[in-house]
Amino acid sequence: MKNIFLTFMLFTAVTSAQESYTLSGTITDGSNGETLFGASVFLEGTTIGVTTNEYGFYSITAPQGNHTVIISYVGFTELRKGITLDRDQKMDVEILEFSTQLDEVVLTAEEPERAILRKPEMSVAKLNMKTVKQMPVVLGELDIIKSLQMLPGVTNNGEGSSGFHVRGGAADQNLVLLDEAIIYNTSHLLGFFSVFNADAIKDIKLYKGGIPARFGGRTSSVLDVRQKDGNSKNFEMTGGIGLISSRLALEGPMFKEKGSFLIAGRGSYAHLLLKAAGEDNSANFYDLNLKTNYNLNGSNQLFLSGYFGRDAFQFGESFNSSYGNLSGNLRWNHIFNDRLFSNLSLIYSKYDYDLGIVIEEFDWVSSINNYNIKYDLKYYTSENFKLDFGASGIYYDFDPGQIRPTSETSEINPLSLDRKKAFESALYINAEHKLTDKFTVQYGLRYSVFSRMGGQAMTVYAEDRPVVYNPQLDIYERGTPVGETTYGKSETIETYGNFEPRLSLAYQLNDWSSVKAGYSRAAQYIHLLSNTTSVTPLDVWTPSGEFVKPQLSDQFALGYFRNFNDKMYSMEVEAYYKTTDNRIDYIDGSDLIGTNTIETEILNGESRAYGLEFLARKNEGRFTGWFAYTFSKSEQRTPGGKAGGLGINNGKWYNTAYDRTHDFSLTGAYELNGKWSFGTNLVFQTGRPVTYPNGQYTYEGLSIASYSDRNSDRLPAYHRLDISATYRPNRKPNNRWKGEWVLGLYNVYNQKNAASISFGQNVDTGANEATRTAIFGIVPSVTYNFKF
Amino acid sequence: MKTIIKLAISSILIVSSACTDVIDVDVQTAPARLTIEASLDWEKGTLGNVQTIKLSTSTLYFGNNTSSGVTGASVKVTNNGNGSTYVFADQNNGEYTTTSFVPVLNDTYTLEVIYNNETYTATERLIPVVDISDLAQSRKKGFNDEDLEVNVIFTDPGEEENFYLFKFKKRGDLLPYLEDADDEFINGNEISWYFEKEEDESTDKIEAFVPGDIVDISFYGISEQYSNFIGILIEQSGGTGLFSSIPVPLKGNCINVDNPENYAYGYFRLTEMVKRSYTFQ
Repeated sequence: MKNIFLTFMLFTAVTSAQESYTLSGTITDGSNGETLFGASVFLEGTTIGVTTNEYGFYSITAPQGNHTVIISYVGFTELRKGITLDRDQKMDVEILEFSTQLDEVVLTAEEPERAILRKPEMSVAKLNMKTVKQMPVVLGELDIIKSLQMLPGVTNNGEGSSGFHVRGGAADQNLVLLDEAIIYNTSHLLGFFSVFNADAIKDIKLYKGGIPARFGGRTSSVLDVRQKDGNSKNFEMTGGIGLISSRLALEGPMFKEKGSFLIAGRGSYAHLLLKAAGEDNSANFYDLNLKTNYNLNGSNQLFLSGYFGRDAFQFGESFNSSYGNLSGNLRWNHIFNDRLFSNLSLIYSKYDYDLGIVIEEFDWVSSINNYNIKYDLKYYTSENFKLDFGASGIYYDFDPGQIRPTSETSEINPLSLDRKKAFESALYINAEHKLTDKFTVQYGLRYSVFSRMGGQAMTVYAEDRPVVYNPQLDIYERGTPVGETTYGKSETIETYGNFEPRLSLAYQLNDWSSVKAGYSRAAQYIHLLSNTTSVTPLDVWTPSGEFVKPQLSDQFALGYFRNFNDKMYSMEVEAYYKTTDNRIDYIDGSDLIGTNTIETEILNGESRAYGLEFLARKNEGRFTGWFAYTFSKSEQRTPGGKAGGLGINNGKWYNTAYDRTHDFSLTGAYELNGKWSFGTNLVFQTGRPVTYPNGQYTYEGLSIASYSDRNSDRLPAYHRLDISATYRPNRKPNNRWKGEWVLGLYNVYNQKNAASISFGQNVDTGANEATRTAIFGIVPSVTYNFKF
Repeated sequence: MKTIIKLAISSILIVSSACTDVIDVDVQTAPARLTIEASLDWEKGTLGNVQTIKLSTSTLYFGNNTSSGVTGASVKVTNNGNGSTYVFADQNNGEYTTTSFVPVLNDTYTLEVIYNNETYTATERLIPVVDISDLAQSRKKGFNDEDLEVNVIFTDPGEEENFYLFKFKKRGDLLPYLEDADDEFINGNEISWYFEKEEDESTDKIEAFVPGDIVDISFYGISEQYSNFIGILIEQSGGTGLFSSIPVPLKGNCINVDNPENYAYGYFRLTEMVKRSYTFQ
């Protein structure tokens, strides 16, 4: 660490120009003091510019003289400011949201969302909260995850399913961060709602590829969600009252405007998701977001943020279940000087679930805890060179499952699966280097180390094979345990280290178009175990170790970006190819529940995904929106390896459950006048790969289905249309109370999209039949949102 | 136990989910295979000398349900320990029967079926089972605490791993219900295994037990390997919903020694079993 620091200090000394000075500061939203992430700060008539970091900080170095600084941000009015640069100086700037100034104007002066041409950043889906708010919603709640699924390369796994999939990757390959804390489950009520309360969120960014070196630990994507800091100027209350859930957020200044706070809560009304009145079954959720910050002085700022969310299900007197995420983060921003910005974070996060089987008198509990320390620095070396570097360490504590009898009379014996502990650390360095006015390169390297720690016994298998192929029966069976190795608490069971190079190039062809290319390698050391069709909240995470190897992915991407008509329209086309080594899959008949030795249920395989993504946006005018289309393939192959035999599906490639050949979505927002606006979504995607029967035979008086090759059939195509209307009643200019009604219609033509199709015998006739389960039909919603 | 956990997970979806309906689906067609249902079950207290093996071929999934019986095959079972061989005679309806079988607990037997000039073999051990100590009825267990369920009470032997198969069939019903169990979480305990028919509200096809209903119960001791097989079979025949395991091709223990690709469906099992009936009060 120290060495790296010294190295770049030397580097700086060499590259510092004599006649240049540095301008640095923070860009904030003038109405509430929120810092803005990704605002651009440019010097007019030059190619010198930068975008603000996560904390709104910027630093640009330019030759001495008079300049005009142009500050712009999506949805905000562009600000121009003349400066005389004759020394290093600080300039904090407030800019104003476009709509807060005037109600009815020509919507062209604001900075629109558009293709970013000069930065090498690619494969990034950035959604402005304002854009999210224009999209139709299901059940009256804004849903960031569902909004992201309207972008190319991002799909869901069907309704009633947690998680999302990026570029043919699995749900567990997404690193989801809420204020830097790892969130293990992104949805409430199995995908009905996302865990992110839109009132508390400032900014979301999804990296589908070209993941910057400062992120690591997952192979498919990074979803970086930042909470608001809270209004540092005025007290403000926002909220919404809906049919299913309601929410309320309070924010305001603290410590004489040296700080601010935000507290936001949401809850669903219990028993409202029930099919019929009088049923004992219920499902509900609530969550709480908290954030506060304190500005010690101009160069030191503290942030404290927290999240707590919980889902609860009750199935009569038989079962109950509850699960949720908890996270907390303390951060210290320190500005060493006008070119060196740093942030230290201490983060805790936890996911746990509790399944109560009342009828059998036992509880089944499981959790994953992690403690994370991170130190990130950004050095604005020169106009053409910026350096990010830092280090992180994560300590994991997995409790894969415990059975606790709840009464003396329970027939169930208590059981604790082995707790697993691991430590993941990383060092990274990344440079953004402008080689010429048109050619910018971003290159970085991350080195990660993962140690599976001792304090437990590991089973030893005959011939070191936890899974063995039985050539006579042509099946995979559990290996024979021949003993145990006990590892002390100070010992490590297995250590892995990986270099993860990242590279992106951007070449600006002209004022309106550019080409970009990227390569990234990423390692993933923890895995979600799930052999079910759909990921459930009750699936368990497991660390890499002796038998479960880290996943390693390589992704190549190539893109073309173009703005039309003075940025009114933009177009992005990207192609990607991604391979992942050591992607596990489950042997036929694998049993993951209460299994201590996961290695006896899995084989190590590989996956590959490739696709072409197309995005066209209309960024300005009364009508805005986008059209996204993805053509893609996602496959897996799982050879027998050490276990012997050909492997799963005879070692042939098979579709992953998240393979979608075609994925088409259209999103539009229309601003009729100051009072009425409308939104619509149209989605069409190829059905999810599934396994259907291919024959039947009689056994024990039952018709038994024989099944075809893994994932060789597909559910019917998924399609849906949503619309929404927002009505903002007349308000007096001086009235602080602002209200709006949002009327939504999800799945307008009541398409019964199959979440699953199940095969079985009709109990009366004995004939085989296929039964479709559809989760949402047409769902109307009404929400009243207010701001005070 | 695990079934219960799986059931609980799927019930979470049921709570929050919506409608189901029967639809038409196109499925693939696999080539027909021989199905060997060789279940040599020795009921406690009987000689167990009369045994039947059923042979049939598989058919289209949405075809006519009556799969055709296979005739003209040669079927025999050998006790590996003492070499006794029992030839099963072709009844010309897909059934092959012997009246001279001698079951010996824990002995290993080999099945040989010759059909279409291909020989299928399987080897399995005859697994003992404890007696059912009592049968009782209750209402509070199960998904619905108002519906009747029958409880099969037995004591699991603590010194070994045990695997069980239950078959429940209400008299008058077309289809039996199979359930499998192992003692992983309940080793050595007195077990009260309940069976409840849960009413299907959407179709009204399945009705809960009412007083006067008679349920026939079979309770088998099975091998670990057969338990793996029947466990998958039961899970897959119960439908393949969102939170069930991905369905897999199910392979039994009958190997085609001449042409391994052309393996047979079904299983060669040998069990000791207990048969009881219960009339709900």
